[in-house]
Amino acid sequence: MREVNGQMGKSKTYSNDYEDYENGKDVAALAEDIMADPEFPGLEELIIGGWGCEYEDSCQPILDAIAEHPDKFSHITSLFVGDMNFEVCEVSWIIQGDYSRIWKAMPQLKELTIKGSTDLTLGEIEHENLESLTIICGGLGKDVLKEIEGAKLPGLKKLLLYIGVEDYGFDGNAETIRELLANSDFPSLTYLGITDSEIQDELAEVVLESKYIRQISTLDLSNGTLTDKGGSLLLEKLPGLPNIRKLDVHHHYLSDEMMGKLEGLSMETDLTEQEEAEKWNGKIWYNAMLTE
Amino acid sequence: MEREDMVQCDADGISGIALIGSPGGSGSEGGKRRAYFEKAAAGAGIPVSFYDWKDFPWGEKAGGMGHSIVKIDAPEWKSFRLCEMEALTGQYGERLRQLSRMPVGAFFNHPSAVAAVLDKRGCKKRLMENGVAVTEMYEESFSCGEELFGFLRENRVHQVFIKPVQGSGAAGVTALRFSPGTGKRVLYTCAAPDRGGLVNTKKLHRLEGEAASAFLDQLFTMDCIVEKWYGKAVFHDYFYDLRVIVQGGRIDYILPRLSKGPITNLHLNNHSMEFAELYLDGAVSERIGEECLRAAACYPGLKSIGMDVLLEKGSLRPRIIELNGQGDLLHRDVYGGNRIYRRQVEIMRAMMAEGKYIG
Repeated sequence: MREVNGQMGKSKTYSNDYEDYENGKDVAALAEDIMADPEFPGLEELIIGGWGCEYEDSCQPILDAIAEHPDKFSHITSLFVGDMNFEVCEVSWIIQGDYSRIWKAMPQLKELTIKGSTDLTLGEIEHENLESLTIICGGLGKDVLKEIEGAKLPGLKKLLLYIGVEDYGFDGNAETIRELLANSDFPSLTYLGITDSEIQDELAEVVLESKYIRQISTLDLSNGTLTDKGGSLLLEKLPGLPNIRKLDVHHHYLSDEMMGKLEGLSMETDLTEQEEAEKWNGKIWYNAMLTE
Repeated sequence: MEREDMVQCDADGISGIALIGSPGGSGSEGGKRRAYFEKAAAGAGIPVSFYDWKDFPWGEKAGGMGHSIVKIDAPEWKSFRLCEMEALTGQYGERLRQLSRMPVGAFFNHPSAVAAVLDKRGCKKRLMENGVAVTEMYEESFSCGEELFGFLRENRVHQVFIKPVQGSGAAGVTALRFSPGTGKRVLYTCAAPDRGGLVNTKKLHRLEGEAASAFLDQLFTMDCIVEKWYGKAVFHDYFYDLRVIVQGGRIDYILPRLSKGPITNLHLNNHSMEFAELYLDGAVSERIGEECLRAAACYPGLKSIGMDVLLEKGSLRPRIIELNGQGDLLHRDVYGGNRIYRRQVEIMRAMMAEGKYIG
């Protein structure tokens, strides 16, 4: 268990490792541990790391515990489910759960971060206070994207989605993201992240044409396969968008020349992690950061 | 005591250093090893004669070694095919054996000790017998993927490393994850199938399901060890392990190697940083030093050893992954103070002054 006192307030990570799991401590036991921990009532941020056998068992018992004991979690304003690195579990193997009951059970929640998209369901999302929604995965399914599209989140300031690739769950295309941005209604949105895509240039175009582009202050197109094609679009449109104060495109395939031009924009930029396309088996490969 | 420990030479007549290696270009690994070692020797005013592996056994010229301290660098492998690398390593082992019988002033790293640590299984066994903490290997050997999956299922092991017994760098090294309950499998490796065999590439490949099983079937045509996959220590968003250079019974350099994937080998375009920047607790650094010196003591024939050391996630307990009798080239060092090669020359000068070589 990790404990930090950061800007977010008191935070603690709860996790089972594989050995805990082999010794009989399953995900339900982890939920019990959290509720029984004397420090838990003093926390603001609850981080669930691994739950022992994430690739065979869903985190559902934890979500159920929250739904069934909302009073015990009423102090939690920030929730991260699945904060585990590559050595603990493949992101695409993490078995997530059904969050349908979380919205009502945690009306005080401001920030939700979910890692993994396998078996992920958000349900009907209606929440007055949620300010930040982040989904980190290797491929986000259309069904989840539709749930976000219909979400009633009047307070949402930050939406960060890892779109990912087809092999790991992204069964949509650029039109899916266009619809998401056109049909959703996030009046408070200031940070839009449509990231980690292997069609990042197309998605850059979609985002630049969306209604949110005149509303947000941070544009995040990072971790994808952004090339000079997408870079040129950004260079063309961003000077006319003074509302955008930060552009994050780290992990990209931009040329040095294009990087130089983007650096010249009058905004904060993150152009780190310039990637090189790989030649393999006679083809050129561009990889998004998280594609499994 | 083993043979390499007992070699003593009357080195009264030792007047210089003989370096065996590959000339390479200035950009090649072999070229850099030679250039920076020679630079260190020149700084100390000691002449170096160079012997190219491709001219082995050098005919009459080899006579010059009788008055030299001999340093052995690795030959440059031309092949990227793993099955050929296995044969080449075998051939190299034979050359080292022949070299050990040649009259020389003294060896810096004794060829039989260099050969001994090339055998990953034998080396790990020796370290374990001497109480050194290592990344543990399973005693079982496997002939195909299914056999390994059966073992993993039965023992409820879900992730392992598979490494060819003979091989350098990340050649053939494979990280495998297996779900005993669902049978799902995924592996990461730099090797790739090519014309009926496996080739070493500089790219990390991810294989799942049947492709992973087929790959393992091919990999197990070579003699491989299977090791427990330990969670590595994390620095910011990176996993890291350490390359530790132990020379003359002293820790001369510790280089953290960072990666975002399971294989931190430097040839894979990962990056390194300064050890001090990790800000590890003094007790952890001390433990690293103790473990490495204990490992080095198992091979007294090696005056210079490159050790790959894992720090376990959480506890930061050091475990030796493998040893290399020719793993002394660290770009961060040669482009910095060239400390490692300068220290080698110091040790050699001391050997000359002592007038004898005690391994």
